[in-house]
Formats: sequence, structure tokens, C-alpha cells
Amino acid sequence: MSSLTLEVNGQATRLQVDSHRLLVEVLREQLGLTGTHVGCDTSQCGACTVLLDGAPVRSCTLLAVQAEGRKVTTIEGLGGIGAERHPIQQAFIDCHGLQCGFCTPGMIMSTAALLQHTPNPSQEQIEHALEGNLCRCTGYVNIVAAVKQAAATLAQGTKP
Amino acid sequence: MNTPVAQRFGSGQSVRRIEDPALVAGKGCFTDDVSLPGQTFLALLRSPYPHARIVAVDSAAALALPGVVAVYTGADLLRAGLKPMASQPMFPGPGGAKAPQTPRHALAVDEVRFVGEAVVAVVGTTADAARAGRDAVFVDYEELPNVVQLDDALADGAPKVWADAADNFAAEARHGDAQACDAAFARAAHVVALELVNQRLAPASLEPRSVLGSFEDGRVTLRMSSQMPSGVRDTLCNAVFGWPTDKLRVVVGDVGGGFGMKTGAYPEDIVVAHCTHALQRPVKWVAERSEEFLSASHGRDIRSQAELALDADGRVLGLRVHTQANVGAYATATGVVIQLLIGPWVTTSIYDIRTIDLKLQAVLTNTTPVGAYRGAGRPEAIYIIERLMDAAARQLDMDPAEIRRRNMIRPEQMPYTNAMGQTYDSGKFESVQTQALALADWAGFDARAAESKQRGKLRGRGLASFLEWTGGNVFEERVTVNVSGDGFIEVYSATQAMGQGIATSYAQLVVDVFGVSIDKVRIVQGDTDRGSGFGSAGSRSIFVGGSAIQVASKRTVEKAQGLAAEALETAPQDIEYVEGVFRVVGTDRKIGLFELAARQADHQVFVDSTSAVQAPSWPNACHICEVEVDPDTGVVEVASYASVNDVGRAINPTIVVGQLDGGAVQGLGQALCEQMTYDRGSGQLLSATLMDYALPRVDLVRSFKTRLDQSTPCLTNPLGVKGVGELGTIGATPAAVNAVIDALARAGAGERAAALQMPLVSERVWSALHGRPA
Repeated sequence: MSSLTLEVNGQATRLQVDSHRLLVEVLREQLGLTGTHVGCDTSQCGACTVLLDGAPVRSCTLLAVQAEGRKVTTIEGLGGIGAERHPIQQAFIDCHGLQCGFCTPGMIMSTAALLQHTPNPSQEQIEHALEGNLCRCTGYVNIVAAVKQAAATLAQGTKP
Repeated sequence: MNTPVAQRFGSGQSVRRIEDPALVAGKGCFTDDVSLPGQTFLALLRSPYPHARIVAVDSAAALALPGVVAVYTGADLLRAGLKPMASQPMFPGPGGAKAPQTPRHALAVDEVRFVGEAVVAVVGTTADAARAGRDAVFVDYEELPNVVQLDDALADGAPKVWADAADNFAAEARHGDAQACDAAFARAAHVVALELVNQRLAPASLEPRSVLGSFEDGRVTLRMSSQMPSGVRDTLCNAVFGWPTDKLRVVVGDVGGGFGMKTGAYPEDIVVAHCTHALQRPVKWVAERSEEFLSASHGRDIRSQAELALDADGRVLGLRVHTQANVGAYATATGVVIQLLIGPWVTTSIYDIRTIDLKLQAVLTNTTPVGAYRGAGRPEAIYIIERLMDAAARQLDMDPAEIRRRNMIRPEQMPYTNAMGQTYDSGKFESVQTQALALADWAGFDARAAESKQRGKLRGRGLASFLEWTGGNVFEERVTVNVSGDGFIEVYSATQAMGQGIATSYAQLVVDVFGVSIDKVRIVQGDTDRGSGFGSAGSRSIFVGGSAIQVASKRTVEKAQGLAAEALETAPQDIEYVEGVFRVVGTDRKIGLFELAARQADHQVFVDSTSAVQAPSWPNACHICEVEVDPDTGVVEVASYASVNDVGRAINPTIVVGQLDGGAVQGLGQALCEQMTYDRGSGQLLSATLMDYALPRVDLVRSFKTRLDQSTPCLTNPLGVKGVGELGTIGATPAAVNAVIDALARAGAGERAAALQMPLVSERVWSALHGRPA
């Protein structure tokens, strides 16, 4: 067991973890943050995407101890039930950008990472940002529409 | 001015989904999101061989490991009295002989027959302990010869997958009139013939299968990801364990996609139930992605010799199809009926083709069993007829739209009984196609092709006009409605959501009848203790389940009206019901629906309703795809996609279009990128991860033009709706392939293009275009 100190969704968190534990296992099993999903074991599907110091990472391929001293943001930290819904979350609802919802947290986190550094992304930039996130239900077109709506909403919000 | 709530949130409108707020917040409840105190974990040791005899299993080392709770083998399950799942009962073997039996044990007994078949179950106190235990079990196998491909399975002297399956045939079906068909071909002015392969696919829902068993008061509860909770319960209780059905409860939360793959019971469900029962403590199993590829049922995998006889004007005289289906190592009822019966039901599609000769054979191989995958038989059948139509148009030098139009069943022929005895209630196929041609600007293609050519690209267009059968031929559904004195209406349905937004659509139907606001409606699904039913498959939920919701809601209002009459001391016929209020007509005496419920002894108005629709629905559509092929690389890009869809009445148009477009991308996946591949010889599955199996990604299609034609309601259900879940998948595959062939044919490579088989990956397309291997 190793002692792990990190910030999860703005909360300083300290816990004991087995050193071979993956970040997603610690998030889901030890911290009860089950919004981050595991869809594959090979970093292909993107359902487990979280932000590590603002950058999107596959939490199924990162050891929890590698997050020592860093900031982790999961879908629960973005907003939603019990908190104000984030514009990206709202855009996925408005654009019918989800069906079964299993890939959705990963899609939303990848989108959040994209819009942080590219507030007005082109079609190609959106495709590039989401090429590592698989969705089997929607056919993606509505997901791209949701990203565009979210970008527009966020841009409005940042106007003086 | 007040807008009645029913108008604001009832059916026919694109109400925002009530499922979404939780899902976008990460607050869904998928099976693996639930954990129970004292929970153990199951790991399965799977066969590394495609075919082998199990000589011995040694679990001693595993049992000695810390945290390993128990180890079970197939022999252990047999001793505990578990029975294998039976093979298909419907069809004879070849030539009418008795079909071979392929009983499937939850854990293999004596022999393994495909790579990934479960052999030993290990339960541990942690997932790590279970996996370590699994790795410590030693199985001694004696390898046997294997076959994974159709040709090899059918070759003289081929290794047998099952000892009593002569030539590896599992079942055979013959439909139509062979003699009449021969005569039609003899007098035909034109004959087109194609060999067509519908390759094996992985349904690949993003959520892997998962099961959590628990034990309480002598009962087992399975919380799992399934489309058919009642079916799982019944198979396990009746066929496998010999339990009374009330000994097992199946509970389903959010399901992360199903696509037909999560229908029916799996060996893993049985193993979890057994372990839970034997250990009397919670047991969780979550499939790893590779386990899903290896052991969740696959889809399609048929090869067809297809021929069309036509007269000089392009009218079809006869259709002959001989199909061999690779059904895998076990001939399951689902896997066999899909290819031998369900596909044939729609083989003549929207065309007035009276003379058919269909021969279909199910072939056993050492591969994962094939089952339902979105469309289940109809995509294969429609691909065949729509490829033939395009080939005929090319041979006769006709417009592909015109040859289809000439052969279509006309509205005045409805109801129309096809050559398989299936009756279509409604459909205006020519109108749908005409609308789609306009939407896609079919006539303006040459200008777009010229523009593509300027950019060095070869443009092609393809269309598919088609229908499909929906419903699973189970037309009855049970619904319970509970109007609570606490101010909400709770409706239970045994259909099962897996991402289609069923709860929202059902809530809209409830609003239609009750006229209350949608936030007063709660839709509950997924609990066999609350009701049984067929579940969701074959695009049946809205037209069967939704119709049952409407009937149940009306029965509830009727019952409440009687209670209101008592409360208001008048006759029921003197009472009117409007938007949540019962009123004595012409007076101000009234009582609210929820107030009425609160006054009842049990604080509710409860109705248990069972009702049925009359027949399957026959949604139909015309899908038109344009592609650009890069002649230097063979890469295919989808340039445009337009479709007009007759889905009857749409309850929630946004959800319907979402089903169509998402479904179309799955169909494009079959056309352009997906393929399950077994290595000939070693029998290993080569596409066993998402690195190797190419699912469509975000850049496959950039936009859809999707229109609904709601002018032709279905006549056999009270809602007038037609199933929509599989329509897009069925249309997209032939539309896209026809488009690629068209592009290559325009470049002079038509004959080689017609011989292309899916998926149309760049290497195959380049080779066909240039006439040499890439």
C-alpha cells in the first residue's frame, strides 16, 4: 500500500492505495465516483477519460500513484445533478448527443479539455479531439453538434 | 393563453429526454456502478484452443491462493444438477434429417469448441484474487482439429465441430417454389448473379456485459445489463437450474447499449447465479473487452449465391438465393432462426416478386456462436436484394431508381402478402423513394461528380429502397399503472431500455392520455418482480410496449372515472376528465386525479393491464449515400447521406432521427470498416480488441439529411407507429456499398467492383480499381 495525496474535483484527498491500482479503479471503487466508465482495457474507447491537471487522460491506463500531487477532474466535478449543469452537459442534452450514455462522461471530459485551449474549434479540431472516444449509439453527428453548441455558450459567457 | 400540457409534452414532439440529466452528470446506474457488502468477484478461465478435449482440470494451486473463495468446473455444475442450454428446436438438418444437438454448458464439459469458451470459474474476495486464481488453474487439453471458415467446414473430410453433425450442417430451410423459379429463370431476358458476403461483426456495445448476483431469503437476484430480464430469468429457472421462477429475480438498471447482443441468457449469467446460490453471498462479474469479443454473441456471417431473373423491361421474374450461414460452435435458436427464417421474411422487400427459391443452411464452425445483432437477418437480406437491383440496373443500363420503381408494390396492393406469407399493412414505397431522390438531389449528381473529379476524387451514388419486419412476433405486453396519492403516476413496463430513450417516449404517451405534466410521470423498467414480458428486441418497444402503455393509461382513467363518480356521487357517464381533473359535466363539482387517488384506501389507483397489437410493423425507407473514392489510396469518404423514412407516427421525432442516424453509422461500419476475423489454422480470433476491430469513429460521417414521412400510419397498432430501431442500420450498408461500386464502375472497374466484399477498406477498393493487389 502507498499513501496517495491528490486533489479530486477540487477536494484535497488522501488515501491508501495498492501501488498497482489504476486511477479509474481508485476513482470508482475507493472514491465512489462511478461516472467514469471502463469500456475497454486498451485505451481505445475513451469512456474513462478524466482531466489530469486539465489534460485529458485515460484513467484506465494510468496508475493511481502517478496522480500523486495532481488535480483530477471527473464528470462529477464538472457539474450536473446537485450542482449547476455545465454548458457542455447541457449541450449534450440539447443536441441529443447521447443515447445509452455510457461513453458520454468520457466524451464530455474530452470536450472540456478541447474547449479549454480551443474555445472556437473547427470541425477538424473537434474530430481530432474526439477521435479517441468511441460511441456506438449516436453516430457522432449530434456529439459534434453538442461540442459546437457548448463552445458557443461558453464564448457568450466569457464576453465582458 | 394557456397551452395545454398535453400539447406541450405529449407525443409527436421532440421533448428533451428525461434519461439525460443523470447520464450527463455521471449519475447513471450501470450494473458495475453497484457494489454490495461482502461482494466477491468472478473470473473465468477461457479456452485458448478452438477445439480440444478437456483431459483434466487441476484447481489445487488456485484454491491455495489467498483470497480465492471457490473454483467451479463444468463437471461441478453438472453434479449440481445444472442442465445445458438446448440447441435450436425449429429446423431439421440437411435433407430433412434430424438436426444435430449442440447442448451448451455454462462451463465446458469434456470438450471446448471455440476460443474463449468458458471452462473454469474462480471466485475471489477481490477482482485481483479471482484473476490470480484463474491464472493458477491448470487445464490439460488435448487439441483437436478445428475449422473456423465456411469453406473449410464444408470441405470433404473436414474436422467435425460436433460428432453427430454430418458435414457440419446444423440446420437447413427451403422456402418458395424451386420449380417455378427455374421456369422464371428459363424465360428471363436478363439474369444477374452475385456472390455476396455479409461478414461477421461484433455488436460491441460500449458497456461490456456485467452481472452482480446476490442472495437473500433463499432467492437469487441478478442485477445485470440485459435487454430481456424475463427471458434470462425463465431460461435460467426453467431450462438450466430447475428452479421455480420466483426463486430468481432479475433487475436491470441503465444498459450501455445492447444492439441485440444482450438478448437472452449467457453462460456467464448462469455461472454468476450458480456461484451466488452456492456461496450465498454477492458475486460480481464484469467482462473485459477482449472477453466481450470472444464470448458475447457475434452477428451476420453469411455467404450467399444470389440470382435475379428479369424480363426485358427490368421487371423481376424470379429470385434465387442460396445462403450458408456460419453460426459458430453452437446452433442457438436465435442464431439459426435469424438466418433461416427472419431474413427470408424480407428477402423480396418492397418489390412485387412472387417467385422465389431460397435455400439456407446453418453451418457449425469452431467460432463464437452467432446471435442477434441490430437488424438480425434483415440487413443481410436487404443487402442481397439491393445489391442485385443495382447489378440489374447496370446490366440493363437503367437508372437504379427506375428499376426499383418498376418493381415496387403499389399502395393499392395493400395489404400485401409476400412470397414468404408475410403481410404488409401499409407502405407508399414509390412516394418515399421519390422524396428521397429529391432530398438527395439525385438528378444533380453529375455536377457533384464533376466537382469531385476536379479534386481528383471518384464520386459514386448508391441507394437502397427497402422495408423491414419488426416486433419479434411477440405482440402482447403487460403494463402496470399506479396513480399515487402522492402526486405522481408510476408506470411499469417489462420492455427494457438500452439507450433508445424509451422512458421519455413512454412518458409522452402517458401525458397524452392523462394530460398531466411530464414531470408527474415516472417510467420504471427492469425488475422481474414487478412484471414479465419479452423485453426489448426487434424494434418492438414503441409499437408493442408503447401501445400497451396507451391502453393501460386509458384503462386507468376509466377506472378512476368510476371512482370519481362515487366520490362526486354521480354516474360515471356524467363525468368528464380533462388534464388531471374529473368534473361533473356542466357543474363546478370536481376532484383532481391525485386527490382522488389519495382518498382511496390504498392511497392509489392501480391498474394491471395486458394488451396486444395485431401484427408486426413494416417500417420502410429510401437511403441514398454518396461517396468519394481517392484513386491513389482507395480510401472511401462518405460525402453525403440522405434518407426518407416511413416510420408511421413518430412519438418523439428527435429520438427517432437519433435512432436512424446512429443506426446508419452502424450500417456504414459494416460497409466500410468492421470485420471479425479468425485465423485459419490456429482458430484464434484476431480482432479481439478495439485496437483490431475497427468501429466507426467521429470522422466517418459529417452530416445526415434525415426526413420522416409520417403520412402512412401503421394500421395494426393503436398508435400508428412502426418500429425504428434497426431501420437505419439496414439501409446504410447497401446504400454505401452501392455508392462505392458506382464510383468504381464509372471509372471503368465495374466488374471487379461488383466482386468486392465488405468491408470496403482502402486496400480492397484500390485493388478493385487498379486491377492488381495493393
